[in-house]
Amino acid sequence: MSPQQTVAEAAPEVRLSGIGKRFPGVVANHDVDVLIRPGTVHALVGENGAGKSTLMKILYGVQKPDDGTIEIGGEARRFSSPSDAISVGIGMVFQHFMLADNLTALENVVLGAEKLHGIRGAARREFEAISERYGFGLRPDVLVEKLGVADRQRLEILKVLYRGAKVIILDEPTAVLVPQEVEALFRNLSDLRAHGHSLLFISHKLDEVLAIADDITIMRRGTTVGTAVPAETTKRELAELMVGSELPSPGTGESTVTDVVQLRLEGLGLEEDGRAVLSGIDLTIHRGEVLGLAGVEGNGQAELVETIMGMRKATAGRIVLGTEDITGWTTRERRESGIGYIPEDRHRHGLLLDSPLWENRILGHQGERPNSRGPWIDREGARSDTRAIVEEFDVRTPGIDTAARALSGGNQQKLIIGRELRGEPVLLIAAHPTRGVDVGAQAAIWGHLSAARAAGLAVLLISADLDELIGLSDRIDVILRGRLVGEFDPSEVTPRDLGAAMTGGDQ
Amino acid sequence: MNALRSLFFGLLAPVIAVAIAVVATSVVIIASGSDSGVGSFWSIMLAVPQDRILVNIVNQSSMIYLSAVAVAIGFRMNLFNIGVEGQYLVASYAAATFVGAALLPGFVNIVLGLVIAIAVGAAWAGIAGLLKTYRGVSEVISTIMLNAIAGIVVSYFLDKYGVHGGNQVNTATAPESSWVPGWTPFTSADGAIWSLDLLAVLVGVGFWVLLSRTRLGFDLRATGASTTAAVASGVSVERMTLVAMLLSGGVAGLIWMPAYFGSAHVYGTTFQAGLGFTGIAVALLGRNQPLGMVFGALLFAFLSAQSNSLTLQTDISSSVVQITQGVAVLAVVVAYELVRRSRSRVEQRAVARATAPVNQEVAA
Amino acid sequence: MRRTTKIAAVAVVTAIALTGCSKKSDTSATDASSSASDDICKTADGDGPMIGLAYDVGGRGDQSFNDSAYAGVSKAVEEFDGSCVEGEAEDGEAESAREDRLRQMADAGATAIIGVGFAYSDSVNAVAPDYPDVNFAVVDGYDPDSKANDNVAYFSFAANESSYLVGVAAALTTQTDEVGFVGGVHNDLIKAFEAGYTAGVHAVNPDIQVDVAYIEESDLSGFSDPAGGKTAAAGEFDKGADVVYHAAGASGSGVFDAAVEAGDGMWAIGVDSDQYLTATSTQQPHILTSALKRVDVASYDFIKSVNEGTPDTSYVTYDLTNDGVGYSTSGGFLDDVSDQIDEYASKIKSGDITVPTAP
Repeated sequence: MSPQQTVAEAAPEVRLSGIGKRFPGVVANHDVDVLIRPGTVHALVGENGAGKSTLMKILYGVQKPDDGTIEIGGEARRFSSPSDAISVGIGMVFQHFMLADNLTALENVVLGAEKLHGIRGAARREFEAISERYGFGLRPDVLVEKLGVADRQRLEILKVLYRGAKVIILDEPTAVLVPQEVEALFRNLSDLRAHGHSLLFISHKLDEVLAIADDITIMRRGTTVGTAVPAETTKRELAELMVGSELPSPGTGESTVTDVVQLRLEGLGLEEDGRAVLSGIDLTIHRGEVLGLAGVEGNGQAELVETIMGMRKATAGRIVLGTEDITGWTTRERRESGIGYIPEDRHRHGLLLDSPLWENRILGHQGERPNSRGPWIDREGARSDTRAIVEEFDVRTPGIDTAARALSGGNQQKLIIGRELRGEPVLLIAAHPTRGVDVGAQAAIWGHLSAARAAGLAVLLISADLDELIGLSDRIDVILRGRLVGEFDPSEVTPRDLGAAMTGGDQ
Repeated sequence: MNALRSLFFGLLAPVIAVAIAVVATSVVIIASGSDSGVGSFWSIMLAVPQDRILVNIVNQSSMIYLSAVAVAIGFRMNLFNIGVEGQYLVASYAAATFVGAALLPGFVNIVLGLVIAIAVGAAWAGIAGLLKTYRGVSEVISTIMLNAIAGIVVSYFLDKYGVHGGNQVNTATAPESSWVPGWTPFTSADGAIWSLDLLAVLVGVGFWVLLSRTRLGFDLRATGASTTAAVASGVSVERMTLVAMLLSGGVAGLIWMPAYFGSAHVYGTTFQAGLGFTGIAVALLGRNQPLGMVFGALLFAFLSAQSNSLTLQTDISSSVVQITQGVAVLAVVVAYELVRRSRSRVEQRAVARATAPVNQEVAA
Repeated sequence: MRRTTKIAAVAVVTAIALTGCSKKSDTSATDASSSASDDICKTADGDGPMIGLAYDVGGRGDQSFNDSAYAGVSKAVEEFDGSCVEGEAEDGEAESAREDRLRQMADAGATAIIGVGFAYSDSVNAVAPDYPDVNFAVVDGYDPDSKANDNVAYFSFAANESSYLVGVAAALTTQTDEVGFVGGVHNDLIKAFEAGYTAGVHAVNPDIQVDVAYIEESDLSGFSDPAGGKTAAAGEFDKGADVVYHAAGASGSGVFDAAVEAGDGMWAIGVDSDQYLTATSTQQPHILTSALKRVDVASYDFIKSVNEGTPDTSYVTYDLTNDGVGYSTSGGFLDDVSDQIDEYASKIKSGDITVPTAP
């Protein structure tokens, strides 16, 4: 299915051949071949951990390849730092923006590139010219802290163009955007392509890749496993190349919703530093029900989760678990009463990275069998239960004494999910349960959540992946600026509708 | 990670650190142009200790160890209790005053004296704990200040209520029935190994049990390893801060008790100050591990006891030993970080091997 | 990031821990180099008496009473063709370390051992019974128990008397009617200095204000903390005092520096030995006088008594009547007033004036 591009057809702007990179114990890249034609959008797809990040760091000069060659415009190059890459016209837009909030847009662009056009009139004219040419609509004097995510991203691109980049690497640029913003980004990218730029677009969202790319290179397990052109391939074919097996999709099957209310929030409000972070949140989750919560990041979902968990104290309203009012309870009391918690940031909130797996199994469940008896830790109990989790949830590890840090993200997450489901919780708060997890682990996690739901678990699911939300939830609530602004039936709603509600477009 | 490799990594850092300390000390001695030379320094330091030095090493390392455990309890949850010095000062004075008053018969007097030492040490540390919990005052600042306050408060009370004699002032002498002398392994002139040195053993075992076998210890370690994760797991950091400070101060209160009941019998000129700071260094050297700190305490006690001969036999100041101790502590911090990294690499490799080829996630 | 802060914190803590137990390192470093060449205990190997000299914290080079004891010992060693061994106390050392130091000296063959400083009282008391053939002496010492030792002498000095005399000198010198006192540690011993000094000042003019500061409340490091001495003295000069008397051992050099920095016409008064003689040339114009505590005389007398087979035992008092204390006139700054000071001295000797020992 993947017709190879013939080399003769165009002088390659960028050619990577036989790239290999090894880290201690891990082969990150081997035998990677990528050819980026001038004036095209070239998509690099692959699941997390397939080696995409390493490859682009090599192209941008952040890391040196152990094997292989990089040719730019037919000339072999060796980059010892990003400035070497920039000097031959390669620029990179990182997923996490590198902007100084307290400087203006212009200052951010000029910072570090003062030699090009100075810092005054000429720099301003160049800034405005680029913004005009590609329709970015950025004003030079606005403070970056006032800019939204999409504008910040455009500013990052402008920054790269300002430095004269002809080849622009975009690392998962759509991950932080809502559907409407993605469309705007794609218009910008098309303009760039029309002006003769080459774009290396890194993503694992196949719909987007098919919509924008001219060429596609697929990576799996550190190497390139094929190339494709969108017109001649399907999403499913791409996905199977990525995963190397059949693609899972989220789905929960039959509804298992009961009419027993497990969690009820009544007029929940949270005020911090005089600012209302949450206000008037009313929701109920029944046993056997998954309630999805959609929203652009930063609209209060993290605070809502932490308020339900007792890590933040509600300033208004009540939280009722089953029949008990738990508003005043401590986090520990809540957890011991059967609330499981899959935190959004597993490194900060879910794991003790330098502790062995079996101690991580105890974390959050210090007071439960088989982890402890009274004030004593039951090491044997915890250890054998950890072995059971590793087995049952397919955590790939050499043993339970391995430090959590050494595991891959997916396996860390599987351990957390195993731990949280193990104690037969009545309510599970799952924040982005498959974020940063490879496709294989993702499917497994979906399976576990569905099974728990079928067994009567009530789940509050927060996710930025709208497909996941729609696939898993029985109902979806949308949160915007700390308020619930709409409820949708996942069997009818589309990602577009959700996106509109999330940005307040239709409200 | 097999046991042998664990042991190797466990010993690697201290061995490196001590080697660096030996080199640094030698360089300092050479640089200072001593007439006696490096050779005589090390031949004195490494001589087989005399009998009474052996006794002193045991007694001193017990007290240093108690201090190190007091410090380590805080360190294990990233709480820097610099105030052990002040805590054992206040506790020692309080206990000596109580025991000296001889209100109760011998044995009861001893037990209550120890209880008072623990309670007063804990209370003094608790002030810093409360300040941190309710006012967000850094315990580093508050405990340092409490050290200064402790010295002034104790001097005031000692001056006012103590027994003045000549140029000295002491608390009342403990009744002989409340003395806990100890075991004399050599001649009586060589001194006794105080019975209450056993407190160090008990506290050490207790510390180990607390850390590895109890929920409280787990919460303590979890808070130290990642405060955010601990909070999410239901640990109340405020409560843990207070509990850790109280435990730390309670152990601190015991530091000087072996010497008090064993030989001093009064609080006064013979009080040994500075153990609280030595404890910080030993806790760092022993990586807050119950067993590691045993070696740290023995090393420090050994170096200090042996160094006493230096000014008698050479022109080298015994302060040079403090360079050895200081460099060892600094080197061990660096060495442990390096060892931790190489250990983590080894472990990642092991994971990669065990899970290949399914998982080839990039380490970086 | 988090790890970096952790390491930084550890570094800070280590620094605190190490400074906490080695405040004196700066003084001892210079001391090690200076003592290497001109140390009589390293060169003398006569057949006469062997003397053990156990210094207090601060040690040789404190330009104060440790040095004074050394002066007495070296005179005796030369005169009686003897030899000597030295040992020095560490800040915060164990009581057992003091005992061990004395025992090592006795084991090495010393027949007369002098503990410099009252902190040796307990350790000498513990060690002396085990070495009946060795004679011990403790400067400023005191028998801590009721059981008398027949081989221990305790030197006590009427420091209040010498302090009284320098107080008179200060009162006769001050232009601002404000003088200062800096004590090393707020214990009974140093309080006697303060009491005598204040009494002397007020004997001349009761309206003169005396500022009193102590470097440490109880920690003996107050005797080896020049920076602390400087801070305390500078505070008094700032307040308006123009003469500051120190009883702070090796911390006194900081007091002298403070006087130098305070400018012309600002005076410091030394203690124990004639500190004009050991001061730097910049300090000398500011050293009015020193309250002498003749530890050298006492040490020499003690060794002499041992050498003659009639060792001193029990309490031996040194005061104005036996020239055990006094004041120095080096520098000639007191030439105009020394007659008046001597008048007070003779009144003390005759008993017309009783100098208080506590403030």
